[in-house]
Amino acid sequence: MAAVLGLIIGVVVGVFVRPDIPVVVQPYLPIMVVAALDALLGAARAYFERSFSDRVFVISFLANVITATLLVFLGNQLGVGSQLQTAVIVVLGIRIFSNVSAIRRFIFRG
Amino acid sequence: MAHRSRSDNMLEKLHNQHAQDKVNDRMETGSFPKVRKKPRRDLNRHTNRSRLISSILVMFMCALLGFAYMSQINNTKSTYETLDENELVRLLNESNTQISNLEQRKSQLSSQLNSLKSAANEQEQARKIAKQNEETSGLISGRLAARGRGVTVTISKGTSAKVDASIMFNLIEELRNAGAEVMAVNTVRVVASTYIQDADGGLVCDGITIEPPYTVKAIGNPQELSNAVDIAGGVGAQLQVKYGATVDVQSSDNIIIDEVREATQNKYAKTVE
Repeated sequence: MAAVLGLIIGVVVGVFVRPDIPVVVQPYLPIMVVAALDALLGAARAYFERSFSDRVFVISFLANVITATLLVFLGNQLGVGSQLQTAVIVVLGIRIFSNVSAIRRFIFRG
Repeated sequence: MAHRSRSDNMLEKLHNQHAQDKVNDRMETGSFPKVRKKPRRDLNRHTNRSRLISSILVMFMCALLGFAYMSQINNTKSTYETLDENELVRLLNESNTQISNLEQRKSQLSSQLNSLKSAANEQEQARKIAKQNEETSGLISGRLAARGRGVTVTISKGTSAKVDASIMFNLIEELRNAGAEVMAVNTVRVVASTYIQDADGGLVCDGITIEPPYTVKAIGNPQELSNAVDIAGGVGAQLQVKYGATVDVQSSDNIIIDEVREATQNKYAKTVE
């Protein structure tokens, strides 16, 4: 409930505020968003498995975002930014797909 | 009775003694507080306060996600920062080729435009010339009615001799030499193929019988035309002397010659381009 409410609030604020993203953050923002999406879907899966814990969610959210950002940052430092970005996106995409399929099994099983 | 009360008293005494013994036999001394086993901390153990805090945190994070998502959507235009050098070079090359293509196209189109413009000009010119030609040739061939400055020559019936075709022809030729542009004899428009021949009681001009008095209308410079007729020893004098006819030359600023004739179709002659 809180999650859905928060999502709606965030989207509405984002639509109306239209902020200027600082140049430093710009390359990392899409990665952050994808990582956070992964965390959100993991939380949804845990919710359906009746093992959701908001503490775990918060920690996994932050860990996902920070790890992804750091990885891309490292890649930029080493000159393989775009490749590493692709790698992160691929891994997160796979995780998102597996989470979604788990959720689908929970929804359509019973 | 007394014995009975004694034995009751005895029983009670024993009972009390036993209870006292039990209390004294207790092992717990109170100096060692019982330490219970620490219960496993349950992740889902919530007090009301921590539940509120954590759901606020979840909400905040989801809001952050939505906000970042929308900002990223609004900001997808400037993604060049994330491209590497090769891609940037490729993009630059692509735009350069596109620019040169567009320039080429532009020059093509502008040359096309220029040629079209000049063609339009030429066409306009040709149209103007054609219109002029049409007017001129229309006047010459007698297809169009004409008006302008000129003279009207009126010749009465000859008293000493009949006004014949040759003197009329001379008159027309004189007027032509003097620069008459359009002429008409009575009701006949004079064109290149006009002929005059004698007939009973008059003349035949282009198949039409005309009778005196003859009226020759000519458009041209009135001064020169009247000079051509009135010149000493000229056509006018001949008419008066030889034929005894009266010749009246009237200059006018507005001679209207509305006799027209059909344009002839040339059967054999073709224009040379």
